[in-house]
Parts: sequence; C-alpha cells; structure tokens
Amino acid sequence: MMMGLLAAAAGFRSESAETQAEDRDCLQRLAGGDSDAAGRLYDRHARAIYSLVLRIVADEGDAEDVVQEVFAQAWRQAARYDASRGAVGAWLLMMARTRAIDRLRARRARPGQQTIEDGHAFDLPAGTPDPAKGMIDAEQARQVQRALNELPLLQRLAIELAYYEGLTQREIAVRLEEPLGTVKTRIRLGLLKLRDALAEGPS
Amino acid sequence: MSSPHSDVKGDAAAYVLGSLDPDERAIFEAHLAGCEECAAEVRALRTVTDALAYTVPQRTPRPELRQRALASLAGAPAMPPRLRRVESLMPRWLPLAATLVLALGVAVYAARLQTRVAGLEARLEQALVQASAADRAVADARRVSAELQSAMGVLAAPDLVRIDLAGQPTAPQASARALWSRVRGMVFTASNLPPLPAGRVYQVWVVTGPAPVSAGLLNPDASGGGLTFFSTPPDIPPPMAVAVTLEPAGGVPAPTGQFYLLGMPGAAL
Repeated sequence: MMMGLLAAAAGFRSESAETQAEDRDCLQRLAGGDSDAAGRLYDRHARAIYSLVLRIVADEGDAEDVVQEVFAQAWRQAARYDASRGAVGAWLLMMARTRAIDRLRARRARPGQQTIEDGHAFDLPAGTPDPAKGMIDAEQARQVQRALNELPLLQRLAIELAYYEGLTQREIAVRLEEPLGTVKTRIRLGLLKLRDALAEGPS
Repeated sequence: MSSPHSDVKGDAAAYVLGSLDPDERAIFEAHLAGCEECAAEVRALRTVTDALAYTVPQRTPRPELRQRALASLAGAPAMPPRLRRVESLMPRWLPLAATLVLALGVAVYAARLQTRVAGLEARLEQALVQASAADRAVADARRVSAELQSAMGVLAAPDLVRIDLAGQPTAPQASARALWSRVRGMVFTASNLPPLPAGRVYQVWVVTGPAPVSAGLLNPDASGGGLTFFSTPPDIPPPMAVAVTLEPAGGVPAPTGQFYLLGMPGAAL
C-alpha cells in the first residue's frame, strides 16, 4: 500500500506488453521514414528519460541536452534496433543513463582531461537478450524500490553511487575508505537482493 | 584466453551497473562469452538495473524539449546547444583535494542516517494506518529519499572537503565531522553531545566571514548523536570553520550561546 501510494504520487508510468509492441512498431516505421512515429515514441518515453537523466546530472539544462542527444541517437539507430535486445523503453533508458553519466564524468574531470580517470567513456553492456524478462512494469519498479529501501544502508549507498553517480567499484572503495573486495561484495549482495525481490513478485 | 569462472563470478553485478574498470570489464566480457552461468546472472541482474531507471521521481520536461528532440530527426541541423554556463569558480585544486580525502567517517554517517531513516519509516508505517494521514506519509517518504539523495550527492561531489570538529570545554566528549561540498551541500554528523536542556537546541554554523551562516538545527538522539544536511547557497565561499552552539529552541539568526563543537578544515585541503 505504501509504495502504491508513492508510485501514484510520483505519477509513475511504465511499460505494458501492449505499449512495448507499439514501441517496436514505432521504431520500425521510424526507420522507414515515418516521422509521426518519432513523436509518439517521444511522448511515451520522454518523461521517464528526462526524470532519470535529471536525477543523474542534477541540472535541468544539462538534462535537456542529454535527452535531445538520446533521441537523436535513437533516430539514428532505429533501423538497427533489434527486438531481441529487450524493451524499447529499457533500450532508451540505457542510452540515457550512459550519456548522462558521460556528462557527469566530464563535468567532474579535471581541466585538460577528457574524463576523470583515463579518458574512457562510461559504457554499459548491450541489452537484455530476452524481451519478456526485459519488460519492466509499474509493479516491478515498486518491488525494486521497496527492496532498495530495505537494503542495509552501505549496500544501498554503493549501488546508488554506481548507478546514479557513475562511480566504479574502485572509486567507491576510495570514497568510502573500504577494501575493494568489501565494496564488490556489497554491490553484488545488494543487487542479488533486488533481483530476488523482482523474482518473488508482489509480497 | 578467458579467465577462470572463480576469478570473475562476482563481477556480474558491477558489470551490469557499468561499475567495472575498463580492464576488468574486458576480462569479464571475454569470460562471459563462454560462460552460461555468468550470462544467466547478467540477464537476471539486468532486469534490476532496468527497473531502477523507473524508481526515480518522475518529472515532466518542458514542452519545448519535444521540438528540439524531434528537430534532430528531420535532418535539419539540431538546434544550437544552449550557451554554456560560466565556468565554475571552484578552485582548480579542489577535485584533486577530493581524491585525497580518504577518511570520510562514512560508517558513522551511515549509522546515523540508518537510524534516522528507520525512525522516519516507522513513523511512515504508523501514519499509514490512518488513511487520512496518507499525504503526510508520502511527504515523509519523499523527505527520506531526498535526504539520502542529497547526502549521496555530497559524498560523490568533486570538491569534497572534510572538517573535523572537536568538543569544547562545555562538551569535551563530543565530536563531529562535516563533509562540505560547495556544489552539493554539507553532511554533518555529531556524536556524544550532552542531552539538550528543555527549550534549547543545538545549532550548526558555517563560518565564512564575519557573520556565521546557520546550517540548521541539530536534535541529538539518546546517545548524543545527530545528523543534518545543509544545502549550500550557491554564492557562499568555502568555510573557514564549522561550529555548534546551544541556542533557544527554534534557532537564532546569529550565534548567542556557548560553543559545544568547533573545527577548521585541515591544512592539506
């Protein structure tokens, strides 16, 4: 009930199987040159993308730039989108997170350097090779939120520093003044608990 | 040559978070190609990172953004990027200093935050028993979330400065630590403060010039510990000192009471 209220209050919106099929259809038509399809994709996903990006870059102007970049990339890659890689929404959000963290890291970088460490851009692995499993609905997001709230704080902190701040395990270990192995364990145990919460379904 | 499973099996979680170093990532990917067990774990954990994207507070972008995003499709040159803001006035050495700040005292901070979150969550549960209290419950939960987010932002800030505070003669056992970021704010944790007299409260001050700026009130828990988060005003210089005084309940605009804690940034920073 608690999370139901929270989700409702947050104006939560996510993907159903139906909208996923429509998304794929939009991408296909977009690849074929149908620009109305782009507007529909934007209308369905811009809010979630903007929200995630804003949470990461914490600046409205930067967030708008990143959202524009994400859609530009989506338009370019529409023809190459492979449905077996997962839901369109998850695909867009993964691009959004990658670009948002790139921007964050560039902003943190010392002058004269491309990024904070060795110039490598933040990069995420390719998408989920199982569309059914890759689908996130509102209930699943609530389960993850609830499980996140129940994690030991240091596990949650490590996961959120990685997810929202784009810090590597090594950087997190330095900032929390902990052995790298401890941070690795925290991140793994934390994510496994979140996965279990998703697998168990509504509690 | 792929690494043995035992060497990398713990890396799937960091891999899906994008939290491996480039060399670790290359090693894991080489292993992943031939290991069904790791591939299955990556698939399972990917649903978690996908779901995390939907747990952030949802915000509606400005309507103008739609046109910008769609313009890049029409083959028309994308709208010019907006003018960059004036470069940060942050001194060049601060990011470097941040990487040197190793002893963050995060365990203490985390414990305080945990207590506070637990307390708020208990209140939240209680409030939810009465349907009429739902609004307050939502506000409480948002505050917990915002507090965590702000505190995390401070920890990840590029310009982090640590200030340790020592107990003054009024409270020799007390100690505190401030983690200050000009761009993200300040997290302040205290321990072993004496119990408050009736009608009094501890007030945290940031000294940046002749007139100290209030950084909020502190109500210690039973063990004399407390945590407060302070959003840094954008135009405030780095603190020369952070102090805690005992003041009338509700706080005062300028310090009037005795000092309980006082600290200055270390010379290395």
